[in-house]
Amino acid sequence: MQQETVAFNFKPKKFVVWLFVVSSTIMFGGWTSYYLVFMASKGKGHGLVLPEVFTYSTGVLVLSSVCLFMAARALKNGDIGKQRMLLWLTFVLGIVFGVLQFQGWVGLYQTGAVLVNNNAAISMIYVVSGFHLLHILAGLAFVMASLIGSYKNVSPEVAAYRQDITSIFWHFIDILWIYLYVFLLLNS
Amino acid sequence: MSTISLHDTHHDDHGHGHHHETFLTKYVFSQDHKMIAKQFLITGIIMAVIAMLLSILFRIQLAWPDKSFPLLETFLGKWAEGGRIKPDFFLALVTIHGTIMVFFVLTAGLSGTFSNLLIPLQIGARDMASPFLNMLSYWFFLTACLVMMGSFFTQTGPASAGWTIYPPLSAVPKAMPGSQIGMTLWLISMVLFVASSLMGGINYVSTILNMRTKGMDLWKMPLTIWALFLTAVLGILSFPVLVAGVVLLVFDRSFGTSFYLSDLVFGTQILPNEGGSPILWQHLFWFLGHPEVYIVIMPALGISSEIISVNARKPIFGYHAMVYSLMGITILSFIVWGHHMFVTGMNPLLGGVFMITTLIIAVPSAVKTFNYLATLWRGNIRFTPAMLFAIGLVSFFISGGLTGIFLGNASLDINLHDTYFVVAHFHLVMGSAAIFGMLAGVYHWFPKMFGRMMNPKLAYLHFWVTFICAYLVFFPLHFLGLDGVPRRYYAFTEFEFMNKWLTVNVFVTWSAIVAALAQVAFLFNFFYSIFRGKKAPQNPWDANTLEWTTPVEHLHGNWPGEIPTVYRWPYDYSKPGAEKDFIPQTVPFSQTMSSNLPHDFEGNEEAERIQKEWEAKNKPVQE
Repeated sequence: MQQETVAFNFKPKKFVVWLFVVSSTIMFGGWTSYYLVFMASKGKGHGLVLPEVFTYSTGVLVLSSVCLFMAARALKNGDIGKQRMLLWLTFVLGIVFGVLQFQGWVGLYQTGAVLVNNNAAISMIYVVSGFHLLHILAGLAFVMASLIGSYKNVSPEVAAYRQDITSIFWHFIDILWIYLYVFLLLNS
Repeated sequence: MSTISLHDTHHDDHGHGHHHETFLTKYVFSQDHKMIAKQFLITGIIMAVIAMLLSILFRIQLAWPDKSFPLLETFLGKWAEGGRIKPDFFLALVTIHGTIMVFFVLTAGLSGTFSNLLIPLQIGARDMASPFLNMLSYWFFLTACLVMMGSFFTQTGPASAGWTIYPPLSAVPKAMPGSQIGMTLWLISMVLFVASSLMGGINYVSTILNMRTKGMDLWKMPLTIWALFLTAVLGILSFPVLVAGVVLLVFDRSFGTSFYLSDLVFGTQILPNEGGSPILWQHLFWFLGHPEVYIVIMPALGISSEIISVNARKPIFGYHAMVYSLMGITILSFIVWGHHMFVTGMNPLLGGVFMITTLIIAVPSAVKTFNYLATLWRGNIRFTPAMLFAIGLVSFFISGGLTGIFLGNASLDINLHDTYFVVAHFHLVMGSAAIFGMLAGVYHWFPKMFGRMMNPKLAYLHFWVTFICAYLVFFPLHFLGLDGVPRRYYAFTEFEFMNKWLTVNVFVTWSAIVAALAQVAFLFNFFYSIFRGKKAPQNPWDANTLEWTTPVEHLHGNWPGEIPTVYRWPYDYSKPGAEKDFIPQTVPFSQTMSSNLPHDFEGNEEAERIQKEWEAKNKPVQE
């Protein structure tokens, strides 16, 4: 009986994560709309060639999403060991992504495109990528929660629930970065 | 009293109630939605009292700008040297009054209280989707309140750029004392507040969509739930944009970026910021700001729908129309923000578009108003305190809404913009109306919250004095606005053309003071009744909704045994042929054969056949 109540509570909680995804999308939507209106009224964007390292970081993030997808599949097949290994891989790739983003900022900084800038479009690159990185940190926490769950041998329902919300969130921040990167590439 | 019998079950299937609760987990870090609702309400009431006192302070300044009140210096120290409120502090007062009222009282206090209390109780759920997030939502809210109030204890005082904190005033710390640490605290407080609202709103939406009891389809939900649902949706879709705007403002203030700043000269010094635009703040702010006013009013509208129907002993007129108009308001509220910016040099074509969308909002609003009136029409009205406040809401909504049509008009707005006309308009339509909705809700659901009744005599006193004084305060302000008197001005004696309004200001201030005194009746009634009020019966208002099927004594999980099943909509009042003038949602149609109507069965042929057979047997043929 107890387990049924617990299982019943998962659906609304998963929905909470989806709603968070929606509101977060809108926050970034606010910034990109700022960018578009700014560009339309000033007649200029950031005007930069974005550091190449952002391409690599995008690749790394996509790869991490693939790993996470395979981790979810492994869990479904009952292969906990494989799931654990793929979750670790996702985690490491997430950290690599963060490091690459830092390198991207350093690259920008070295070309003179600093945060405190009279071109707000350049400042915006830092704001959106910075806040995206904060989301990555939150995503890493989700991945960690799944990992801890797999080591502590939580019930299959809880493990599936943790894996599910990790997937929702991580794939979201993956797509979010692709959106932001493409947006910044197109609106230079 | 209750005619509802819950099905006894042999097993106790709710997993709560067995764990031991300490004082800390029950009253402080509670995860029970009913306790969180009380926390929101009491915090909201305290913030409302603070904001009201702030308004009395600036009203005193407006009425007697040249007079000295030594008492003020005793309490306010350097903010009122010589017994006169300083200009800087005056601006802080209006800013913080607005901020507290809009966000802390009418968003968190109203929506937070009633969403928490009513959503699980009225849809038939044990608690929220995530009780933990719900608890966090309250603690973020309280922290936001404390940070905001903390700004009164800083050297340079609280934020003073108005509740809309337009840059560059808010973005350049040295622009005025209120733009220094006070502004920083305002922004921190607001980020905490938005986090709180989002955690709350996300929870409310998820709970309503996923956790309704058996039989409670969307079209059987009470209008309160519809309103709270759409309010939460609005919050989820608009508050993140405020965060986006606030983050950029923080960067401008603290790191030297130029998102909103350009071409500023400060004294003899040219500021380095270049290329930004303060108009962009206005866009981001009002993209939240306009939905925000509907976040404020929609719960109040939902609450009064319920209260008016219960106390008119009639089904709400046009239930579906009420829901569709709430949806209409929700959607339209996202495409009207430009009407706050008609005088920013907006392209007249764009202004025209925003004007049309704005005026279209009058349609769903009018639908709601007429439906309230039609519900009252020939009802068997019981003038309970809650009912009076709900009717008061309708009154304010009409008189404040009418001036909205003036302000929504781009060409008229050029004259009226930033005058007292605007102040009068929104204080009636979203200020007074929403406060009355909130008070109606408090009087109506007090028995559910505290298990006791409030004193009706004090409530009547509270209602009449507040209602009359609210009109006496805000109605005259229209005329100041039509004469072109700008809002937020410190002393009317400084301008020749404003001098003639000083006497009106004296009148308005006295009315405000009387209104404030009337709130003592409420506060006494509220806190006294929590401990000493008459014990409440289970269903004091003979209402149909699910919350009145729970026991008076609260328990974690709401219902002992199974959650009741819902069979009908919540507005079966005075149904012809029924034994009583109300049929709770939990009563199946099989128990009310004498009052069932063909459309009750929603096309279920089997049920219709049974009904017809019963009627052939039992009902005398009409002549």
